Amino acid sequence: MDSNEKNTDTTRAKARARFWRVWFGPVAAVGALAALVTGALRTRPAPRAATPPQGQPSSTPGPPGAPGTRRVLPLAEAPAASARQFKRHYSQTAVLGGSASPGEFRRSLLGISTGAADHIYVLGDDEVRVFDPLLRRVRGWRAPDHAACLAVGPDGRVYVGAPGRVDIFDGAGTRVSGFPTGEKDTPADVTAVRVIGADVLVADANARVIRRHGPDGTPRGLIGNLSKTGSFILPNRSLDIAVDTKGVVYATDTGRHQVTTWALDGTPLGKFGKFGMSAPEDFVGCCNPVNLALTPDGMVVTGEKMVARVKVFDPNGTLLAVIGPEHFDPSCIHIYLAVDSTGRILAADPARREVKVFSLSQPPRQGERA
Amino acid sequence: MIEKSTRRRFIEGSCRLLGLVTLGGTAGLLTERASANAVYQVDPGKCKTCDLCRTSCVLSLSAVKAVNDFEKCGYCMLCPAFMDVMSKPDEKGVPTGKVCPQDALKRKVVGKVDADDPNNNYYEYVVDEARCDGCGKCVKACLPPAGNGSLRLEIRYSRCVECNECAIRIACPDSAIVRVFVPGIAPAKHDL
Repeated sequence: MDSNEKNTDTTRAKARARFWRVWFGPVAAVGALAALVTGALRTRPAPRAATPPQGQPSSTPGPPGAPGTRRVLPLAEAPAASARQFKRHYSQTAVLGGSASPGEFRRSLLGISTGAADHIYVLGDDEVRVFDPLLRRVRGWRAPDHAACLAVGPDGRVYVGAPGRVDIFDGAGTRVSGFPTGEKDTPADVTAVRVIGADVLVADANARVIRRHGPDGTPRGLIGNLSKTGSFILPNRSLDIAVDTKGVVYATDTGRHQVTTWALDGTPLGKFGKFGMSAPEDFVGCCNPVNLALTPDGMVVTGEKMVARVKVFDPNGTLLAVIGPEHFDPSCIHIYLAVDSTGRILAADPARREVKVFSLSQPPRQGERA
Repeated sequence: MIEKSTRRRFIEGSCRLLGLVTLGGTAGLLTERASANAVYQVDPGKCKTCDLCRTSCVLSLSAVKAVNDFEKCGYCMLCPAFMDVMSKPDEKGVPTGKVCPQDALKRKVVGKVDADDPNNNYYEYVVDEARCDGCGKCVKACLPPAGNGSLRLEIRYSRCVECNECAIRIACPDSAIVRVFVPGIAPAKHDL
């Protein structure tokens, strides 16, 4: 081996030794750290492990009911309503979303309303989407953060409710105004908005009352606080409202299993409904009806959970029609409702993320499949 | 003089490095585990309330109990976990049957009491753990859409004797009994 070869070998060996000096320490440290972190993550206690003693509220909500863990009670079977003939009969005539058009609502479906020319306004996938009466999409725009409900006013403006506020959009989707609602320390949990004349009615499930606002948000009073308990009883933390052309406000009082009626000044006018598991006019479970709408001829449309179904009553509480649970996902905790000027009932099923359209029809003859 | 480096030496060095990293990781893992107590707990996301918690526990009265999460509870008058809504109603239309076979779910009116109309009251539901046998009937009845899903099953550390291999875990068809590491939790010491 001559001296040149020796020098080259020495240089290479020095380079290798330097490489190891520089890189061995950091690589070993990073590896050990990664292994430690992985181990720590794998052994992190489950969030529910530290249990509060019985009688004290737990801070972590439980997964039952979360997406992917949806389960349905065997109890959720409709009381035998099909054997009875009702004055009205509805049949399904169209579907929007769900398996019919799977791309329409991919993540959520939270509210529905009808506007001028029977256009259908749907809140879903963090957008307000507008459809024509034939369910063809016309336009859409991004909804405010955490939007929970919507309504279309007689002026064509779209009122979108979100926790603590209402945002107002023109028909093209441009935000024109908005106002906060609720108390300073306890913002309203807005679960429904309706517009009658110059009044905006906001259902506040937090305070369990209906807040009456002027068009600019000026508070004009409360509805529901003159009941015996000073508020609605809402075990499911949801309040839905509808208002007829005369200004009579209909509200769901789910804990009492009633539909209640109120004057705009807050005077109680009436109520109908009771708990029951067998008669089809009764409301089942802990808390029903959960949703509400009015037909053009003043009939009351209710949506129920547990036995997911829609019913139509006259204003005195006489049952006129039942749209049975075969049309809805049994795990629905809401069936959002709207009715267009022709009397078609639009029922939004948030579990299947689809809107079903029901039209008045002739009842099927005996022996004929509905 | 620096030794001549060869491929063999390089591979040897790499193996040593890998060994060191593995040793470090294992040591970290073991240290982490040693510093916490391993306990069994019910994963409510997996639990199907199949009743095996009641029948499989080595204790005569299962260590699994129903727990009510008051933040989620609706304080219902017609609580589907408390009363069997399909049972025969009384003269006021309120179901007379109860869901819990042990009568372990108790309720009391909270807030303003309306003696005339029970529909005007809010009810707080508390599990009597001395009676609860962990059958999960109330948990099942409270699931959405019927209820708010505020009830769930939990292994109570005050009763669990920390068997080496939890009998409920072996029996559970849904793998809902999981091992969790909780600092400061000691298993109960009492006769079976």
